[in-house]
Amino acid sequence: MVVRTKGARCRNRAIFIRKFPKQKGDMAAASNPTSQEGAATSTSSQQQQPNLDAITDDDFEYVDEEFVSNYTPEEAVQPQPTEPMIPDLFKQPPLVKDDLITDTSKLQDQTVEHCLPFLAGQDGPLELNDYGLPRLNREKHIKFLKQSLGPLPGRFVGMDASRPWFLYWCLSGLTMMGEDVSSYRESVIATARTMQNESGGFGGGHGQLSHLATTYSVILAIALVGGEEAYNVIDRKGMWKWLCTLKQPDGGFQVCVGGEEDIRGAYIAAVVITLLDLPLDLTPESPAYDGGRSNLLTGMAEYVRSCQTFEGGISSQPNNEAHGAYAFCALACLALLDNPRRIIPRHTDTQTSRQLTALSSPLTSYLDIPRLVSWLSYRQYAPEGGFSGRTNKLVDGCYSHWVGGCFPLIEACLSPSGSGSEKENNKTATSGLAAAPESLYNREGLIRYILSCCQDQTKRGGLRDKPYKMSDAYHTNYVLSGLSSAQHQWDLDSDPLPLPEGETTPTMAALGADSIWNVFPFIDDNDQVYEDSDRVRPIHPAYAIPQKNVAGIRAYFQGRSGFA
Amino acid sequence: MPPKSKAATKPKATEPAPATTNPTTTTTTNTSQTASSQEPSEPTTVLERSQQRYEKTRPFEAARRQHGLSKLSKEDQKGWICDQLLHLTNRLPAASRARLLSPKASKEIWWTINGTNSIVRGLKQQPKAHTTWGTDRNGHDVGSYSIERFDERIKKRAALTALQVSSRVFRENVEREKRGFVDARSGQEIIVTEREIDEEKVRRSKMTALKKELYGEITGKLASSVDWEDVVPTPHEEPEGALAAIAYPAEYAEAMSYLRAVMSKKEYSPRCLRLTEHIIGMNAAHYTVWLYRAANIFALGLSIPDEIEWLNEVALANLKNYQIWHHRHLLVEHYHPTIASDAEALAHFAKQERDFLIAILSEDTKNYHVWSYRSWLVGKLEMWEDSEELKSIETLIDEDVRNNSAWSHRFFLVFSNPKYATPGKGATERDDKVTQELVDREVQYAQTKVYLAPQNQSPWNYMRGVLVKGGRQLASVQEFVEEFVVKLGEGDDQEEVRSTHALDFLAEIYAEKGESEKADLCLRRLAEKWDRIRRGYWEWRRKCLTQGSSEKVVEESEKAEEVTVV
Ligand SMILES: [Zn+2]
Repeated sequence: MVVRTKGARCRNRAIFIRKFPKQKGDMAAASNPTSQEGAATSTSSQQQQPNLDAITDDDFEYVDEEFVSNYTPEEAVQPQPTEPMIPDLFKQPPLVKDDLITDTSKLQDQTVEHCLPFLAGQDGPLELNDYGLPRLNREKHIKFLKQSLGPLPGRFVGMDASRPWFLYWCLSGLTMMGEDVSSYRESVIATARTMQNESGGFGGGHGQLSHLATTYSVILAIALVGGEEAYNVIDRKGMWKWLCTLKQPDGGFQVCVGGEEDIRGAYIAAVVITLLDLPLDLTPESPAYDGGRSNLLTGMAEYVRSCQTFEGGISSQPNNEAHGAYAFCALACLALLDNPRRIIPRHTDTQTSRQLTALSSPLTSYLDIPRLVSWLSYRQYAPEGGFSGRTNKLVDGCYSHWVGGCFPLIEACLSPSGSGSEKENNKTATSGLAAAPESLYNREGLIRYILSCCQDQTKRGGLRDKPYKMSDAYHTNYVLSGLSSAQHQWDLDSDPLPLPEGETTPTMAALGADSIWNVFPFIDDNDQVYEDSDRVRPIHPAYAIPQKNVAGIRAYFQGRSGFA
Repeated sequence: MPPKSKAATKPKATEPAPATTNPTTTTTTNTSQTASSQEPSEPTTVLERSQQRYEKTRPFEAARRQHGLSKLSKEDQKGWICDQLLHLTNRLPAASRARLLSPKASKEIWWTINGTNSIVRGLKQQPKAHTTWGTDRNGHDVGSYSIERFDERIKKRAALTALQVSSRVFRENVEREKRGFVDARSGQEIIVTEREIDEEKVRRSKMTALKKELYGEITGKLASSVDWEDVVPTPHEEPEGALAAIAYPAEYAEAMSYLRAVMSKKEYSPRCLRLTEHIIGMNAAHYTVWLYRAANIFALGLSIPDEIEWLNEVALANLKNYQIWHHRHLLVEHYHPTIASDAEALAHFAKQERDFLIAILSEDTKNYHVWSYRSWLVGKLEMWEDSEELKSIETLIDEDVRNNSAWSHRFFLVFSNPKYATPGKGATERDDKVTQELVDREVQYAQTKVYLAPQNQSPWNYMRGVLVKGGRQLASVQEFVEEFVVKLGEGDDQEEVRSTHALDFLAEIYAEKGESEKADLCLRRLAEKWDRIRRGYWEWRRKCLTQGSSEKVVEESEKAEEVTVV
C-alpha cells in the first residue's frame, strides 16, 4: 500500500496513532472514526504531559495530526503497471564518466555492475512492489540478530574484544524492527557485570581493560533493555573517575588508558556524561587537571573542530582524511554539548565559506557547515543510491547511518529558530545559509539501495555492506539506522538557551542533551517507494537509540545527584 | 627436499630436548630385553622409535629394569655402573666432570660400555612425551605421530626453512639496493624487481601458513609448561546465558586465563611477552593484549627496533587491523627521545619507517589507519621538508590519481608544515602565512591532474582547499574551470559538461562575483540533468544564493566592523 499526500513538511508536534491499515484496497479504514479519535486523545495527553515513557510498544508510528486530517484515500484504483517504476537514475551508470582507468575506477565500475541487477529488481524470484522494491524482510533479520546474540562459534574469537558491540547492534536493530527487547534485561545485566572493571568503565569482557567503545555499547544496551535493575549495574562514580583519566589537555579523550585519542572518544564521552548525568569536575588524577579551571567538557568542541579537513568532512584525528563515521561522531558530539543551531555552524561567507567574523563574535560554533554539507552530499552515489565513507571510495550500507544520520543534525542546525509562523519565514540563525529543504539528500536513492542491495535474501538474513558481502550484526544495525533516518523527519523544537554569564563556550553544562526533538514520518512529495509496514522505528539523532530509552536512563540518573 | 633417512635424524639436532630427569615418565610398549638380545618390534610412533633407539644405547640399564640388578651377570653389573656414572656425570658442567673423572677413567668407562654389541658414541637424552618433539598446533605431542606423519611434518619444516632462507636473501637484497650496492659479477647496481617483490609476498603467505600449520603460534600447552607452573590461571568468568558468548577454542581460553593472572599481578617478563604474541596470533584485534605487550616491552627495556621488525611481519599479515598501528605509535613515542639528538639516526629511522609504509600501502593503498599513522609520524619525526615524503605521495597519485588518501596526505604535508603554517587554523580557513608561490605550485599540480580525469573529485577538492588556504578568489581559476563546461544552458544538444565538479565550482565562482543568475543556472543544470542524485543539495544551494544576496548588506557592515576591531 502506498500513502500519497500533498501534505508538505509536518509542523505540529508528534502524536501517536495506531498503524495505518496495511492491505491494499483497505483504504476506508484510514478514515475510520475510531482511529481519528484515538489520534485526538493521544494529542491532548501528549501535550499535557510530554512523558515519553507513556509511549507503548504498540504505538508504532509517529503521525502528524495535520497529515491525518488531510489524508484522503486514493481517488481511483491505480492500474497495475507492467514495468516496475524505477527511475533511470538508478538504472544507468552516471552521465559523466572518465576514460582513464585506475584501481579506484575498476573497483567502482565493478561495484556498479554488481549493484545494477539488484537495483533493477533482478535479484532472484523476489516479490517486488510497484516500485520494483522487495519488502524489508523483518522475520529473517530478526532471526539473524537473535542468533548473533549468541552463543557464537569459536571462529568469532577475533571479536572477543567487541562483544559489547554485539549487544548494542543486535538489541538496537531488534528495537528498530519493533521487537520488545526487555526480555533480554536479565542477560544484559549478567553480561554487563562481567565486563565492568573496578576502576570504572566497561571492557570487552572479563579481564579486559575498560574502553570507551565497549562502554558506549554496554550503556546503550542497558538503556535499550531499560529498568532500574539494569541502570543500577553501572558504577557511576567509577565511570566518572575513569573518564577523568581519559580526558586530555587538548580537550579530546583517549579511548582507553594508554590508548589512542580520537573523535570517537569525544562523542562517546559526551554520550556517557549526559546519559549518566556525571559531574563535570576533573579529578586531580586527570591529565587535563589544571587546578579546577577546566572540566570534562573543556576544549571538546575545539577538538572536534580541529578534525574538520580541507574537504569539509571530518577525520578521526586532526590532519587525517575525511571519513563518514567521524562526521557523525563530530555532529552528534556537538549536538550534545549545545543546541545544534548555535554550536555547529560557523559564521561564514555564504558561498566561499571563508570566515568573516571570527574576530568580532565569540566562538560558539565550530564547523564550516557549507563545506561539510557539500562533502556529505557528495557521499551519495548514483546509480547505487547509497553512501560512501570517503571521496572515491565505494558505497557501503553502514554509511546509511554514519553519513545518512548526519542529515537530521545538519537540517536541525539550518532550521529556522522560533516557532509557528516565525518559522515560516525560513530564516535561519545562521547568516547566509538557507533553511534545509524537505530533504538535503536523495532519500529514495538510499532506501532503494538498502532494500534492494543490502538485504541478504538467503535464509541467513541480516543486512550487509553491498551485494556479495556477508551480512553481519554491525551492518544490520547501521543499515537499519540509516533506513530509519531516511523514513523520518526530525525537528529541533528548542532554541538555544542563553549561555551562562561570561561563557563563550558551552563548558558549564551539556546543554544540547536537553534539546527537544520531534519526529514525524517523512512524507515524500513524490510517491513513497516502500510499504508503510516497512517503516522502522525512529532513533534519537545523537544517541542512536529511541527517545524513550534516552529519556528513561537520563531520568533515572538525574534523580540521584552525587554518588549515593 | 632431504632424503628420508637423513630427515629422520634431523629433529634431534634441531629440537634439543630439555634436561629433565624424571624417570617415571619413561614408558615403553616394548617387550623388555637383555643387554645383548632381541630386536624390538617395528615402532609405530616417533616416541617408540626414539625409545628403542635410546634403549639401544643403554643396554645395561634396559637389562636391569627387566631383570633387576642382582640378576645380572658380574660383567653386566659393571657395565650398568659405568652407564650410571656416565649419565650422572654428564649432567655436571664440563669442568667439574673433568675433576671427577680423569681422562683415563673416562676412557675406561666408555670402553666398558662399548664392549657390548652396541656402539655408543655419545649420550642420548631419554625421550619424553611432549617435551622432546614439542606439541603441534592442536596441543598433540608430535612424538605420538606415526613415522609417516612425522616425516610429512619434517618435510614441511624443511620447506619452511627453505622459504625463510630465500626470504632472508630477498631482504638482504632490498637492503643492498637501498644502499646502492653493486653486484660483484655483473657490475650492475642491485635492483629488486617487481617480480621478486611479488615472489616474496607469496613466500610470506606460505611461511605464515606453514608456521601456523606446524606450531600454531606458540608451542606447547601452557598448563604443562614448566615455564608457567608457578602461575595460577584465572579462568573466564561468565554466568550461564551471557549474551554474545563465544565458544572459545581451548587454546585461546587457556591463554586468556593466564593473561588475566599475570596482568592482575602486573608481571612484566619475557614469558608475558611470548604470551601476548601467542594471543595476538589468535586474535589480533585485542586492544588489552596490545597495551600489555607495550607495557612489557617498556618495562623490560627491550629493543624497539626489534619489536618494530616483528611488528612489520604482523602488520603485513593483518592488513585490516588497527591496534597494530597504535602499538607502533607507542613504540615510536618511546623510542624517539633516544634518537632525537642524533640527526643521522633520526633520518635513518624516518627512512626505514617510510619504506615500510610504502610497502604496506602498496598492498592496501587507502588503509585509513596506515595513513593516520603516517601523518602522525611526519609530525613526530619532522619529515615536513623531507623531499622523499612528497615524492612518494606523488608516486602514489601517479599510480592512481583517484587515491584520495594520498591527496589528503599531500594537503597535510604542504599546509600543516609548522615552519610557516599558523597554529590552530582550521583546515578550511585562510592562512596568510602560506606563500603565494606555494599556492601557485599546488594549484598547478592539481590542474595537471584534473586533466587526466576531469570527473575525479580529488584534485578538485584539493584545488579548492588550496585556494581557500591561500586566501585567493575562486574566480582566479575561472578560465581553467570553464574548459570543462561548454555552452551551458544553450540546449541539450549544445550543452556539454565534462565534469560535474567543474560545474559546481563554477557556481561558486559566479556566486563569489555576485553573478547570482549564472550561478543559479549552474546549480539548476546540475539538479535537472548532470547530477540528479544531489538534487536536494543543489536546490538548497540555490536557496542560499537568494538568501546570500539579500544579506549582502548585512555582511558588508559586518566586514566594516571587523576592520575596526582589528
Ligand atoms: Zn560498512
